[in-house]
Amino acid sequence: MTDAIAHRSVARLDTQKPKNGLVSRYWLLATLVFMVAVFAFLRPQLVDSSNIATILRSSALTAIMILGLTWVIAAGKIDVSFMHVAALGNMTTAYLLASGHGWLVAGLAGVSVGAIAGLFNGLLVAVMRLQPLIVTIATGGICASIAAALGKGTSIRIADPGPLGDFIFTNIGPVPVIAIAVAVLYALSWYAQEKLTFGHYIFATAQSEAAVDQAGVSVRNLLMLLFVFSGVMSALTGVLLAASLSSGQPMIGSSYFIDGLTAVLLGGMMLRIGKPNVLGTTTAILILAVLVSGSALLGWADYQRQIIKGILLLIGVTVAMRAVNGRQSQHPEAS
Amino acid sequence: MTRTFTLPAGSGRFLAFLLLVVLVAMAFTLAEPRFLSTQNMSAVTRHMAANGLAALGLTFVVIVRKFDLSFAGTACFAAMTIGYLIALGQPLWIAIPAGIVVGAAIGAFNGVVISYFRFPDIVTTIATGSIAAGLAFVYSNGRTIFQNFMSSGILDLNDARVFGYSLSFVFLLGLYAVAWFFMHRTRYGASFYATGENPVAAYYSGVPTRLYTMLAFVACGVTCVFAVLLILAESGTADTNEGANLLMPAYAGVFLGTALLGRTSVMATLAGTFLITMLLDGFSLLGIPFYYSDGVVSAILLAGVVFFDARLREFLSDIGSFLQPASVKKEKRS
Repeated sequence: MTDAIAHRSVARLDTQKPKNGLVSRYWLLATLVFMVAVFAFLRPQLVDSSNIATILRSSALTAIMILGLTWVIAAGKIDVSFMHVAALGNMTTAYLLASGHGWLVAGLAGVSVGAIAGLFNGLLVAVMRLQPLIVTIATGGICASIAAALGKGTSIRIADPGPLGDFIFTNIGPVPVIAIAVAVLYALSWYAQEKLTFGHYIFATAQSEAAVDQAGVSVRNLLMLLFVFSGVMSALTGVLLAASLSSGQPMIGSSYFIDGLTAVLLGGMMLRIGKPNVLGTTTAILILAVLVSGSALLGWADYQRQIIKGILLLIGVTVAMRAVNGRQSQHPEAS
Repeated sequence: MTRTFTLPAGSGRFLAFLLLVVLVAMAFTLAEPRFLSTQNMSAVTRHMAANGLAALGLTFVVIVRKFDLSFAGTACFAAMTIGYLIALGQPLWIAIPAGIVVGAAIGAFNGVVISYFRFPDIVTTIATGSIAAGLAFVYSNGRTIFQNFMSSGILDLNDARVFGYSLSFVFLLGLYAVAWFFMHRTRYGASFYATGENPVAAYYSGVPTRLYTMLAFVACGVTCVFAVLLILAESGTADTNEGANLLMPAYAGVFLGTALLGRTSVMATLAGTFLITMLLDGFSLLGIPFYYSDGVVSAILLAGVVFFDARLREFLSDIGSFLQPASVKKEKRS
């Protein structure tokens, strides 16, 4: 019964949605194609099979990390602790490996640490109804501190990258296995987001939590689930990074902060305008990875890339604001 | 007639805050007698100055119910601008105002797009902060700037003393006094609060709400330059991540203060910043490694936000009311 109501309301919303032109729905994809074309024209090495494998591998890791974040932001909340949760998962794994445990124990411990961090975020945001930005700034700081403390402020070397290392560096043709795994994961997520009630509830929560609660869906449990999922996915990336880098890096998080948020928010400017979604996130991650790879081939400095990323994010916001012109503006804090 | 006078509103919370400060100070003094030495106290006041200045601007932004995540990047860019001008041999009276103009310009950009064009605050300030942090590398390709710092006189800002206190602390108190008067004793301050509480009602009461939102971001951009100026004077070099550590303590100061004193205000931020600086300083005196400092600040912030949460307090007072002797009637205050 409740499901039927939710379905109908979502269906009505869909018909009311202003007809966004092809341009505003797919401009991000066009940007990706355009960027690949320009960089490949200037530096043909970009489309070498080894370079493609590198781009896909780094994109795959970022994609796992921010899959949960995409839905947290889509539900109208924000999580700025994800990169520090990844660092904590990374350092936990490295620490346990260094103290003689096997990959299975270390990896599972790394992921469960992420689940605990996510549970903690969820409790504070969903149950205690505290401001998500402040809460996740604080939990992120705590996670970063613990991660640094595990390695006494420096990195931990891992002697043997183990089976995960083999998994990450195995390619089928030019395509890394992990990229295929992530593609399958994102396809499943897309199905859950678009075809199951789960996705409808996420976007409905961003619109009105009271309405979702009235419809008989527990916003509290949904947000709890999303925050735990985000924590688990971030920590899983941390574990994979430990295998990929053969070390635990306590400061690994900071490099993912701007990239992760930029990818999710830029991705929100595609398909469902103003709403983060998994396909948009995928496209945005690829854009950022191509930008990094292409600009490195052209010899641009790191800071120039950072400026371009910031400008891309601003452009993305501007496009989204134009697309929703007339509609009430929403931002993650409007809860 | 037992109550011949009533204390001003909020003084209960203020007394609780003072008690907390005394308890913390006692705990640290027991663990480490050097805590109350004049040397340490002057270190506390000096550390407090930079964090307190960054938190002051953020207070304005939080009062109009927005967030600013860009000021750390802005501070880096302004620090490198000031450093670059000093290295070129420009006098301080050109270099410092130039830095302030940079901060004000970025703040104004944030303010205009967020208030007039209704851009989402968090996303926009993350983007501008990222751009500003990138621009900080432009002057020297990321190298530390130190030329002319000794001869420019900027170090005097750090060493100068007024009535036995460092100039930076006196500057902090002076700026807070001005901000307090402005926010809590003039109608302009009331307009800031009105903009945050209910922008529609404020607008129809004749408050130019968009202008006030914009000004809050400008204030945040300017005070973070003040903060990083003190850091420049202390370190004697300009580094590209000079302002990166301002973000966490500023948020902690504002929201811990809000939790302690019940609402976001200039005094609350000062109280929150003071408590955090004292705790950080105490922990570093006890020899706790540097990498715990962010965790300590985060934990304090979280504890403050959770334990002073209105719903939890209500819940606890409900529990407390179950424990009253049944014969005594107790009037319940919310």
